[in-house]
Amino acid sequence: MMLVTLAFGAFARLIRTPRTWLALGVWFPLALAIAFFARDQDAAHPADHLLVDVVGAVILPLLVYLLVGAMLGAGSLAASASPYVALGARPAWATLAFVGVGATACCACGAALCGAVAALAHGAGDPPRAHDALVSAYVGGLGGAAYACWFACGAAFGRRGGGRPIALVLDWLLGAQDGTTALFTPRAHVRNLLGGAPPLHFPERASALALVGIVAVSILLSVRRVRPKR
Amino acid sequence: MGDRELASCARTSQVGRVISIQNVRARRPPLALASVSLEWGPGVHSIIGGREDGGALLLALLAGIALPRAGRVRVLGRSPALARKEVARIPLEPSLPDALRVDEMLGVASRLRSEAVRDPAERLAELGIQALEKRTVRSLSRGEARAVSLAEALTSTRVRVVLIEEPITWMDPRAAGLVAEALRAKARMDGAIVLTTASARDAHELATDHVVMDRGAIVSGPTFTDPRFSDLRRAQLVLVSPDEADARLLAAGLARDPAVTALTQEGVVVRVRGHDAVGVARAAASCAVKAGAEIVEMRWESDPSSDLRAAWTNAPAAIHPPPAQGGTEKIAVAPRTGSEPEPAS
Repeated sequence: MMLVTLAFGAFARLIRTPRTWLALGVWFPLALAIAFFARDQDAAHPADHLLVDVVGAVILPLLVYLLVGAMLGAGSLAASASPYVALGARPAWATLAFVGVGATACCACGAALCGAVAALAHGAGDPPRAHDALVSAYVGGLGGAAYACWFACGAAFGRRGGGRPIALVLDWLLGAQDGTTALFTPRAHVRNLLGGAPPLHFPERASALALVGIVAVSILLSVRRVRPKR
Repeated sequence: MGDRELASCARTSQVGRVISIQNVRARRPPLALASVSLEWGPGVHSIIGGREDGGALLLALLAGIALPRAGRVRVLGRSPALARKEVARIPLEPSLPDALRVDEMLGVASRLRSEAVRDPAERLAELGIQALEKRTVRSLSRGEARAVSLAEALTSTRVRVVLIEEPITWMDPRAAGLVAEALRAKARMDGAIVLTTASARDAHELATDHVVMDRGAIVSGPTFTDPRFSDLRRAQLVLVSPDEADARLLAAGLARDPAVTALTQEGVVVRVRGHDAVGVARAAASCAVKAGAEIVEMRWESDPSSDLRAAWTNAPAAIHPPPAQGGTEKIAVAPRTGSEPEPAS
């Protein structure tokens, strides 16, 4: 019951700020427009290329980054949870509610984004449209949730959540490679699941598990960070 | 020991300690506490001192927001983290769920505190702020947010400990006049209210006992003495004459007055001390009239060893405008004009 009450507060924060609708209003139409034009390029696998090179690499991380920022009010995770802690909630539960709501919302947005792009940019050489859209939605959902937890964990560091942009830069720098360091970022695994180059020849299933691991570790770190300090 | 003190002590011993702090050391830059020990029962208790003196950090410890480096903090017989639902803290910058409306926020607060959800308008009416019911928390001014936060704390059936920084300052004007009675009403229901303030006057008006803090340490209390009176008792009266001759006349007259225990004269300035502040002031006025000496300025100057020095000098400028000279409080500046009648000798 308490978690539901806390989730209501986090959800209200997410949907009652114009930043959320601005982020969705910019990135969704942009992704769909790119998908529409990519279809007309007459390439064999327009959906594959678009999902790996544009949506998975740029649009999904930036969209999730902005959504998490909107939910946290450009502040730290601890600052967002503190009003509920002041009203009697446990810090860990308040943090969990914020990360959970962020992950769920970004999972839905990621799934909708990747599914729609796959369906719209479908080419002759791509797998069947419905199957491709479904698989892309699954990857987008998992990637969105992993990115949300990754950025929320970043926002647990720094007085004003300054760790969130650092998390974005780290994902960008480390995730673009295919070495060992890429294993710790969502970017490399999302790329692998969307059909791009795998990090360290990881199979797709292992990348899916790695994303779940990133979610779990990020939540644990976030909860640990918001505890009162001596 | 006055009646009120006796009543408070008796009640404390009957009901038991609500708050217990033993040898607590804590640090949260720039604030720090050094080996603080206190015990409070039900009632309204004040911590007098500026924010930098550690009162705010002490409240954070009691609310479980900060942890002590050493020592033990107990609230309602438990660690503050376990008593969180029964503790409400109203800092100078209250932290409320900004995306919610005020009525939604009160509902969320009730659910988080595991108590029955009540009519928000009725709760807000306790402090006369029912008009804020449908406003979003984000749109509230600081004073309004503090009033809403205080109304939530005082009307909660679960909250037994209310920790409030500067209860009158930055408070919505509609609520400010009702705060004192609302705090007392909560205290009558076995609640413990701890307030920190830089104003000795506010402390006297709201609380029954007082602790004075200076740079992280308790320097006085708990005491039931009116903190304003204790300040005056330790203060010295400074009289400034237009010339040295008048100052000498004043000093000579005051030296013979039984209310004066110590006196110094340096140029045009005469500093007077006595056991009774009112008696010293009366002696100065009487002496000026009798000796025909002119006084251009008359003010109380705090003793450097005064317990309340920190309270006055560390107070934020918005609460107490900075004094004209070195931590002093002017009470009279009245140069005599030539048209005024000559005093009778």
